[in-house]
Amino acid sequence: MTGQEPPRKPSGNDDETPPDTGMGMTAVAYLISGMLVWGAIGWLVDHWVGTRGIFAGIGAVVGVGGGVYLIVRRLGA
Amino acid sequence: MIGQSLVLASEVPFPPSVEDFYLPSIVPWNAHDSYWFTKITALLWVSVAAIIIFFLVSYRKPQLVPTKKQWLAESIYGFVRNNIAVDMLGKRGVNFAPYLTTLFVFILVMNFWAIVPLAQISPNSHIAFPAILAVISYVMFIYIGMKHHGGLKYFKHALIPPAPWFILPLLIPIEFFSTFLVRPFSLAVRLFANMFAGHMLLLVFTLGGFAMLNANIWFAPFSLVSWVMTIALTFLEFLVICLQAYVFTVLTASYVQGALADEH
Repeated sequence: MTGQEPPRKPSGNDDETPPDTGMGMTAVAYLISGMLVWGAIGWLVDHWVGTRGIFAGIGAVVGVGGGVYLIVRRLGA
Repeated sequence: MIGQSLVLASEVPFPPSVEDFYLPSIVPWNAHDSYWFTKITALLWVSVAAIIIFFLVSYRKPQLVPTKKQWLAESIYGFVRNNIAVDMLGKRGVNFAPYLTTLFVFILVMNFWAIVPLAQISPNSHIAFPAILAVISYVMFIYIGMKHHGGLKYFKHALIPPAPWFILPLLIPIEFFSTFLVRPFSLAVRLFANMFAGHMLLLVFTLGGFAMLNANIWFAPFSLVSWVMTIALTFLEFLVICLQAYVFTVLTASYVQGALADEH
């Protein structure tokens, strides 16, 4: 810990996955963003069409689906 | 002792409110509507001065066998460089270590005022400070991304995930929202809310003790419990202080890593 030199074998290089701290936050951000973005769009559609929340619900579910897909593509593989 | 507490108690406002975060100004003394130089400002400049002086003094005459101060300074820098920067960014992490260390130490010291006796409020419990730090991190990771990928190609890289074309319309708004809107907001609010809540919690338990004493002298034992809780929560605060400084730094590093990442 006190060494002046950079560690000889840095435990991460660009090909490896990072430690999980950042990844966890990113995953949560994707899930919540998915729900919020498509829920909000659905809510706008509700206003437009005059329904009472069905599109907001559908939007939130679709958004979570998109969020999960993004987590798998960006963080999984 | 109890009589003194009772005199104090009659002046103690309970419950604490947001007003308690806006302290009277120092210059001009005790003015309530002037915010140019308050305890918050003073703590900010004391923090900056302390950090600069500490690192200048510790690195002035570096020894091969480090002195105690030099050891401490090198440990802090080494910790951020090896355990955050190099761990997350690989070799290029060394380039970012100075900034990340500055960020880490600054947030740590600013947070630490929350539990220093007599100071006992962190400047970071005002959202202005975390917000500016978050803006710096935000601008930095976008700038680095644009430099690495070349201008607008970075946004193409950041917004378009590897996916079949027909789900892209579904995914791009999510990517935009989570990368360019949620990130700075959550960085700022996470730090601010933790410090705000910590201060509020300590206020509730300290003032609550006085309020109970004020209500009925037979509540004195409960007041005592409340104050013991204050001390326990101060130790919990110490944990939160270190953790939040670490989390802010790690997340900044992870955003930079995302900006530098190539397709895979």
